[in-house]
Amino acid sequence: MKRKALSILLVSAMALGMFAGCGSSEKKADSGKKEAAKVDTSAEDEHTLSVFAWDENFNIPALEAAAEAYKAKDPDFKLNISTQSQSSDVEDAVTLAGSSGDYSTLPDIVLFQDHFINRYVNDYPDAWQDINDANINWDDFGSEKLSYSTINDKHYGVPVDNGTVIFAYRTDILKECGYTIDDMTGITWDQFDKIGKEVYEKTGKYLLSMDGNGNDLPYMMLQAEGVSQFKDGKPNFVDNKTMADIINVIVKLKQDNVLYLANDWSDYTDQTIVGDMVAGVMNGNWIIPTIKQVKDNSGKWAITSIPTLTGKEGFASNGGSSLYVTANCKNTDLAKDFLAYTFGGGEGSKDTYDNALKNGGVITTCISAGQSDVYKEGVDYFGGQPIYQKIVEMGANVPTVEQSDYHYTAREQIAAAIHNIDGGAKAKDELKNAQDQVNFAMGNE
Amino acid sequence: MNKNKYKSVQGKQKAAGWMFLAPATILIFVMSFYPMIRAFIMSLQTGSSANMTWATPNIFNNYTRMFKDNLFKGSLVNTYLYLIIQVPIMLILAILLAQLLNNKDLKFKGLFRTMVFLPCATSLVSYALIFKSLFATQGLVNDVLQKIGITHSNINFLGTTATAKIVIIIALLWRWTGYNMVFYLAGLQNIEYSVYEAAKIDGANGWKTFWGITVPLLRPTIVMTFIMSINGTLQLFDESVNLTKGGPANSTITMSHYIFNNSFGNGVANFGYASAMSFVVFIMVAILAFINLKVGDTRD
Repeated sequence: MKRKALSILLVSAMALGMFAGCGSSEKKADSGKKEAAKVDTSAEDEHTLSVFAWDENFNIPALEAAAEAYKAKDPDFKLNISTQSQSSDVEDAVTLAGSSGDYSTLPDIVLFQDHFINRYVNDYPDAWQDINDANINWDDFGSEKLSYSTINDKHYGVPVDNGTVIFAYRTDILKECGYTIDDMTGITWDQFDKIGKEVYEKTGKYLLSMDGNGNDLPYMMLQAEGVSQFKDGKPNFVDNKTMADIINVIVKLKQDNVLYLANDWSDYTDQTIVGDMVAGVMNGNWIIPTIKQVKDNSGKWAITSIPTLTGKEGFASNGGSSLYVTANCKNTDLAKDFLAYTFGGGEGSKDTYDNALKNGGVITTCISAGQSDVYKEGVDYFGGQPIYQKIVEMGANVPTVEQSDYHYTAREQIAAAIHNIDGGAKAKDELKNAQDQVNFAMGNE
Repeated sequence: MNKNKYKSVQGKQKAAGWMFLAPATILIFVMSFYPMIRAFIMSLQTGSSANMTWATPNIFNNYTRMFKDNLFKGSLVNTYLYLIIQVPIMLILAILLAQLLNNKDLKFKGLFRTMVFLPCATSLVSYALIFKSLFATQGLVNDVLQKIGITHSNINFLGTTATAKIVIIIALLWRWTGYNMVFYLAGLQNIEYSVYEAAKIDGANGWKTFWGITVPLLRPTIVMTFIMSINGTLQLFDESVNLTKGGPANSTITMSHYIFNNSFGNGVANFGYASAMSFVVFIMVAILAFINLKVGDTRD
């Protein structure tokens, strides 16, 4: 009897635990928010600004360079940089502030991912201040990059880095197969496929790799053709001939052992690039530090533009971020002046961008700053090629294509479609499914 | 007079009882029930979390939307697949292990019990990451399979739809079998040894004893582990996120993972829809637990 009572007690305790468990799953959704650091902008003096940013090897050195450069104008200036562990921490901080309607937790300035800012400005309009009247010559920036931070015809952000896509090749491996970097420039994807097959047969290395779960290839390849995944605010997969051609190319590359699709991002970087499985890397130029991790291959790499369907040189852009002024900034004039003077192409921009490049490898989209001597220097790892100048030049050619707040949703759905098509499913059905799912996520049904 | 006095003492005691209950009750209300109510209200709303409005065209739009969501249906199928395959295997294994380790003549009992229970002491994230590296294309499992000649080339376990699901099920079995075994072990130790002796004298063999004595007497424990396992599997999150990220092509994504993606993944803060899905999961767990309790309850 006692045992029975005990077991009933246990069962009821578990039933209660089940309720508590459900309660905690509701809370799970909120847990990401807690990481957001707190700042008190009202306690700052008139020479101080605070900023949230991520990546100690990339963005933080750029911000430090800017803070140093601005001291020439305001010797008492102080920039409190709060380093976040990843970009989504900044997004979560804005979500938290926006959901609670209390923006006092935000710093003066945040670094924000380009692909997300449009939605965040539309969803949380009270979280931001536009910087239209800042003393910045907007024509001095690549128009593609500016298209992200210009929302409802107002400028909200100042670009920091540059997402121009590079295609880096191992020149020694190409040479082994009888090719040079020039043979890889301005070719069609079919020619690329042919060379890739040779490279795989002779050396066992793939000519290209990508994260198969969040595949960036379709987006970059489409942009190089001047085509978007979206049309008039809706996903455009099914009636998009270019999209169909590109997916065919990707599946063919994979089946010919030219392209290796890794299971996830860390496999892509650690296994395929750092693990020296590939003879070519195509992504935003922020991938360069990853390539450089293989010390043995120093001097063997070179960069060029990307192949296209027609054989013209392809230019694209992937990833990157800009600086935005939040609604919690009390000293808006200082924030605007700081941004204009440093990243905005003002008097301090040369110092800012030169040091950002030297210390963090951050390449500018500011056209005048890109003409600095530092950019003309050859880089030993890339066989003395002045890659930074090349990247700035390529960046000016990137076509602007329609962007969407659902960029990453579309990317994942297309990646799933590619996986299924590779497994034997019909391309048309899979693209239809992917389009339906993106439409669903957008509420277009 | 006397009677009144007695009453007031009882009243005082009652008041004291409520006083002791109050802190926990208030905490449960504030920390658990209030968020649940808010989540339910949120599940009827739509739009950005800064400015949520009631769902249109009808207030249950978030719920009706789910029927059109192929990805949600997919995650539902995945989750139930894990449930139907993994839970029975795990509980049978757990009960067999418990039976083995309950053997009176077994040496190093403590050592074996600790070893079987040990996986539960590892954190969900770290064990998922270890399984990920074990089953990687160049991982240990591939190495071993090739060395002993079963396979001849590297298999991309986590990159293929069917094998990725199997890896998740194996990982779940490894992590949770020992945990359930401990409950059975505790249950077995509550069964008097003399009952078994009596069965032996009556000529029952091991198999008969197991079905005739062990299982019926363990019934409350079995019901409890079933409810816990169903609850845990329907809320499966860590394995899907850390082992496969839901991939390849969303073929291993679980409901909780999809809910998370709708709240925080891809910068899309779709809290209304995510809350609605959480409530559907909640109702499913409640229904399954209810059925289980009814089936497991032999009292009339």
